[in-house]
Amino acid sequence: MRGTAWAMAALLLASGCASYDRTERAKSQIAFGSEVARKGLWREAAFRFEQAIAREPGNARAHNNLAVALEATGEFARALTEYKKALELGPNDSYIRRNYARFAEFYTSYTRTTGKAAGAP
Amino acid sequence: MLPRLRALRAAGVAALALLLAVAPASAGVSQVRLKLPLKPRLPLRGNERLALAPFILVTEAEKARDKRLQNVDLQGEFHRFLKKQVDKKTKLEVIETPPDLKLPTQNLAELSRATEFWRSVGVTTGADVIVSGSLEFRIEDRSGYKTEEYVSPINGQTYYRQVYVEQTGFLFDIVFLVFDGHTGEKLLQDEFKDFRQTGGRRADELQGLFENLFSLENQILNLFVAREREADRYLFTD
Repeated sequence: MRGTAWAMAALLLASGCASYDRTERAKSQIAFGSEVARKGLWREAAFRFEQAIAREPGNARAHNNLAVALEATGEFARALTEYKKALELGPNDSYIRRNYARFAEFYTSYTRTTGKAAGAP
Repeated sequence: MLPRLRALRAAGVAALALLLAVAPASAGVSQVRLKLPLKPRLPLRGNERLALAPFILVTEAEKARDKRLQNVDLQGEFHRFLKKQVDKKTKLEVIETPPDLKLPTQNLAELSRATEFWRSVGVTTGADVIVSGSLEFRIEDRSGYKTEEYVSPINGQTYYRQVYVEQTGFLFDIVFLVFDGHTGEKLLQDEFKDFRQTGGRRADELQGLFENLFSLENQILNLFVAREREADRYLFTD
């Protein structure tokens, strides 16, 4: 009985550490991605934000940043998906909301002029 | 001593307020400027022959009343501007239509349906696409009395007073009609508007016209070629 309790505690601690480690690694990918994005290296930035999402899929910030990077590289349909995901995960974040609103304005006029969802496969 | 302490305290409060105000933007968020590609409105290859046909002048009737409009050859200036921009920023070949070419109607809706007329223009000029539409340029005198806040240097109280402000507004409204030179069918109809306001009643009308035109340049060229648009976005940094 005591052994089981110890095993459970160890498991919880290990999963907690792993989760903390994943968050930290996601953060470092976001930090690096945003740094290269500011230098205009948007494809590298998108790759870094994808890595952050792979480590922490529920990270609204990573989804937002990936959406911005996809927008910068002209992949608007994918950017829309990522903005929606970011908004779903962080509905009260004012930065994500503002980004999404501005993108929606642009994307609406863009699809109106081209007649189809741009960047769609 | 007391006023000095008060001033120090006020400065401290102001600094704290400033710190709180900028904190959300600096705490892990930065603003980036993107250049978004804008696809051309017309599905062109890029090397077509483009004929510039006359435009309907909406304000022609007002020329008799407004002397300042008489100084502006709107048709000529707009054609020259459009030809120069298309020559400089696209690979389209610009063809001028014959100088005696008369539009079959002065009604925009009827002009957009004059398929036979546009097909014949296409045959005569050998153009792949023909551009026409309507132009409107108005000079608006917006001078008048406006209410202004005024703090009296004698008693420090705020009063309201009427002041005369001289302002001129330039309104430019263009409707583009683009036709297929082979079939005469309408390919696109779009409208662009711009309003500029300048101080002073005697602002130059030609300068006003070109301010309108240059502010619409990107949108006009985007009819024919891809352009870029700048947009700001927020990026999280951690």
